[in-house]
Amino acid sequence: MVLAGVSLLPGFTVIGIVLGGIYALAAIGLVLIYRVSGVLNFAHGAVAMFSTFVAYQVSVKSGLPGWLGLIAAIAVGIGIGFIIERFTMRPLTGRPALTKVVVTIGWLLVLQTLAGRIWGQNAYHSPVRLVSKSGFRLIGTSVVVGYDQLTTVIVAVVLALATAAVLRFTTLGASMRAVADDPESARLWGISVNRVTAASWMVGSAMAAIAGVLITPLINFDTFSLTLVVIDAFTAALIGRLTSLPYAVVGAGLLGLAQTYPRAFFNTSGVSEAVTFGLLLIALAVLFRPGARKLRMA
Amino acid sequence: MTGLLDLYDVSIRFGGVQALLDVSLHVRTGEIVGLIGPNGAGKTTLFNCITGVLRPDTGRITYDGRDLAGVKTHRRARLGIARTFQNLQLFGRMTVLENVMVPIDAFSPRTPVGDAFRLPTARFEERKAEERARALLYFLDLLDVAELQAADLAVGMQRRLELARALASNPDLLLLDEPAAGLDARETAELADVLFRIREQFGVTMLLVDHDMALVMRTCDHIYVLDFGRIISEGPPEHVRDDPQVIQAYLGEVA
Amino acid sequence: MTADARVVRWTAVGVGIALGVLIPAFLSNFLRSLASDAAIAGLIVLSLVVLTGLVGQISFCQYSFAAIGAFTVGSLVAGHHWEFWLALLVGVCFAAAVGVLVAIPALRLSGLFLAILTIGVALFFDRFLLAPGTWDSFSGGTSSWRPGRPSFFGIGLRGEYAFYLFVFGILLVACLLVWNLRTGKTGRVLRAVRESEVAASTVGLNLTAWKLTAFGISAALAGLAGGLSAVRVGSASAGSYDFLHSVIIAAIATVVGVGAITSAPVGGMFLLFVPEIMRAWTPFSTQWFPFVTGILLIFQLVYAPDGAVVDSERRIMRRLHPPAPPPTADDTATPERVLARTST
Repeated sequence: MVLAGVSLLPGFTVIGIVLGGIYALAAIGLVLIYRVSGVLNFAHGAVAMFSTFVAYQVSVKSGLPGWLGLIAAIAVGIGIGFIIERFTMRPLTGRPALTKVVVTIGWLLVLQTLAGRIWGQNAYHSPVRLVSKSGFRLIGTSVVVGYDQLTTVIVAVVLALATAAVLRFTTLGASMRAVADDPESARLWGISVNRVTAASWMVGSAMAAIAGVLITPLINFDTFSLTLVVIDAFTAALIGRLTSLPYAVVGAGLLGLAQTYPRAFFNTSGVSEAVTFGLLLIALAVLFRPGARKLRMA
Repeated sequence: MTGLLDLYDVSIRFGGVQALLDVSLHVRTGEIVGLIGPNGAGKTTLFNCITGVLRPDTGRITYDGRDLAGVKTHRRARLGIARTFQNLQLFGRMTVLENVMVPIDAFSPRTPVGDAFRLPTARFEERKAEERARALLYFLDLLDVAELQAADLAVGMQRRLELARALASNPDLLLLDEPAAGLDARETAELADVLFRIREQFGVTMLLVDHDMALVMRTCDHIYVLDFGRIISEGPPEHVRDDPQVIQAYLGEVA
Repeated sequence: MTADARVVRWTAVGVGIALGVLIPAFLSNFLRSLASDAAIAGLIVLSLVVLTGLVGQISFCQYSFAAIGAFTVGSLVAGHHWEFWLALLVGVCFAAAVGVLVAIPALRLSGLFLAILTIGVALFFDRFLLAPGTWDSFSGGTSSWRPGRPSFFGIGLRGEYAFYLFVFGILLVACLLVWNLRTGKTGRVLRAVRESEVAASTVGLNLTAWKLTAFGISAALAGLAGGLSAVRVGSASAGSYDFLHSVIIAAIATVVGVGAITSAPVGGMFLLFVPEIMRAWTPFSTQWFPFVTGILLIFQLVYAPDGAVVDSERRIMRRLHPPAPPPTADDTATPERVLARTST
C-alpha cells in the first residue's frame, strides 16, 4: 500500500500545486484586505462561494461559456466587497478589530444561507469549466496534466505577479501600501483612505471570486465546502504573517502539497483538514512569537 | 552594599539601540530615590526590567538580596514590587473601587469554586477587600468617585487611582513612572504631599521617575540621572542639580 | 444598587422562572422538547458569557466542546453502560481539559488570531476527529450512540416535561453559579485581565492561570450542554456539533449580548423559537434562520454595540436607578484604623 502510494506522488504533486495556486489567490485577497483595512475577513470564503455560484448559474445552468461565468463571478465579487466595506465596515471606523471581524461572520451567515436557499445546500453541483477537461502527458513521465489545471496555475501565477506589480508600480498600489503602513499619515498626504480601503475590498473579493471558480473542479463543490476555503486562505496568509504577499503565496503552495500528499497513503476522510489544522497551529505558534520580525506587504 | 533594590551593570539593547548600558542603581529601604533624564533616556525600559516585563541582556537585579532573574512579573508583585504607569494602565471599564480591589484579590486565597458557591470564606474575603479598598480610596481622596468608571475620571484622579491600586497590593517598593505627567502645578504640589504621606503611612520605599524637576528635587533623598541609557550622575539633589554634566544633558535641553 | 432596583430585579427573575416552569406545562410535547433544547443552548450561550463577556475572547468552537460532552456521554452510557451522572461528570471534565488545551496556544495570541484558531479547532473536530474512521470508539463511527435518558433521584425523565424541568433547573443553577463568579473575585480579575494585561500582571495576577481557568470553565459549561443534549435527543451525531452551529451560537450570543446572565435563557430561546416563529407566521422557512441571524448581527453591531439584552437591561436599570449620590465614608471604622489593621 505504501508503494502504491509512492507511485501516486508525481500525479498528486500536480494536484497539490494547482490547489496551492488557488489558495494563493484566496490568500492574496485576504492579506490585501487585512493590510489595507485592518479587517480579517472571515467571510472571504463565503464571498468566493457566492460569486462562484453566480458563475455556476451563468455557465452551467444557463449554458453560456465558462469565461462569461467567470466575469459574472468577478463582477459579483467586486459588488459584494463594495457593499461590505461601504455599508458595514466604514460605519465601524475606530471600533475594535474584533467587532469588525464579528460583522464579517454575520456576512458569512448571510451569504451562506442565501446561496443555500438559491442553489441548494450540501448538494453536488457540476463544476464551472473554463477550458476543456482534456490534458497532456508531461514529457518523460506518466503524469497527465489537465489543461484546466494548467490554466489554473497560470492564472494564479499571473494574478499574483500582477498584484505585486500593481502594488509596486501604480499610484493605487502606492496608496494601498501607504494606508497599510500608516493610515493617519496617508491621510495627511492627501490619500483618500476610504477610497483606497474600498478598492482593497473590491480587488480582494474579486480575487476570492476567481479562486472560487477555479477550485470547483477540484473539490466537492457545495455552499459549505467553498465557504470553508477561508480557513485554507487563513493558513496560507498566516504563513506570510498576514502581511507578506510573497510568503503567503509560498505558504499556499506548501499547504496545497501538504493537503494532497497524505491522500496517497491514507484513506481516512478529513486528513487534509487535520493537516491544515496542524499547519495553522504551527504558523500561529511560530510566527506570532513575541518579538517576531515584521514583514512588508510586497 | 545591599539595599532593597539593587541593579548591577544592567544592559539591554533593541536591535541597533542600546537602551540601557551598565546601569547600576541602589535603593535603600525607606528612601525615595529619583530617576531623571531626557525623553528616551531609558527610564521606562529600566522599570520594565525591574518588573520583569523585559529581560535585561546582561547584569543582575536583586530585590531584598534575592536575584530576580527568571522571576515572572506577577511573582515580583508578590515579592512586594508595585508600579504605576506613565501611560495610565487603569482597568478602564471597571469602577474605581474595583480597580483597587483587583490587587487585593490577586493576593487573596479565593478560588473560582469558592466564588461560584459563595462559600463563607469568599464572602468574608470580599468584605475585607472592599473595606480595605475603600480605605485606600479615602486615603487618596477618591472615595466620592468610588462607583464611577475609571475611564471617566479626570487625569489627576486617574493618577491618584494608579497610586491607590499600586498601594493595594501592599508593596515594599513602589515604582512611580512619571506620576506628575498631565498634572498642573497645584496638582503636582499636592502629589509631593501625597508621596510623603504614603511613605509615612505605609513605610513604602519609592523609585520615582519624572520630568518635573521641582517634584523630584523636593521629594527625593537620592537622585540618579540617566542619559542615552547610561547613568551620568548620582547623588543628593543639591549635588545633581549642580553637576555640569547633568545641566548639559538634561537641564540644557529644557532651556 | 438601591433597594428598589434590587426588588425589581429579583421580582423579574422570579417571574421569569415561574413562566419558564409553567408555560411548557401547557405546550405540546414537540414544543417541550424544543424548550429543553433552548435550555441546553442557553448553557452554550452562558459559556460565551464567561469567555466573551468576561475575558473578551470570541470563540467559534463552543459546539466542539459540547461534542466532547455529548460523545463522552454517548460512548460511556451506550457503549460501556456507565451510569449517566458519572459519564456526564467525566464528559464535563474532559471538555474542560480540552478547553484548557486549546487555550495554551491561545495564551500568546491576541483576539483575532485566537478567533482563527477556534475555527481551526472546530473544523478539526468536525472534519477529522469526529469523522467516521478516525476515532470510532469515541465518535461511534458510522452509527451514532443512543444513550438512554437518566432518572433523577428515582424520578424518570422520559417524559418531555419532566426532562425539560430537569435541564431548565440545571440551566438555572449554572446561571446562578456564573452570576456568583461574575460578581466575585473571579469576575473582577478576569475583567481586569481583559482591560489591561500588563497592569493585571504587575498587580500580581498570573495571566496564564486565569486565562486557562476561564477557558476551562467555558468549555466545561459547553461540555455540560453537550452531555445533556445527547440524552435529550437520545443520540449523538457529529452533524449536530459542527462549525456552523458554533458560528450561529456565537452570532446569537453577540446579538443578545454577552454582558448579562439573562442573555443565556434569552439566547437559547432565540435559537430554538425564532425558527419556529418564522415557519409558523412568516413566508420564510426555518432554513432562513442563519440569514436572519446574520442580518441582525450586522445591524446590531453597527447600531447597538453592546447587544440587545444588555442594552435594554441597562435602560431599565437606569430608569429605576438614577445615578447615586456620592457615597459617604463609613463612620464606624475610620479609614486610618482600617489601614492599620489590614496593611500588616
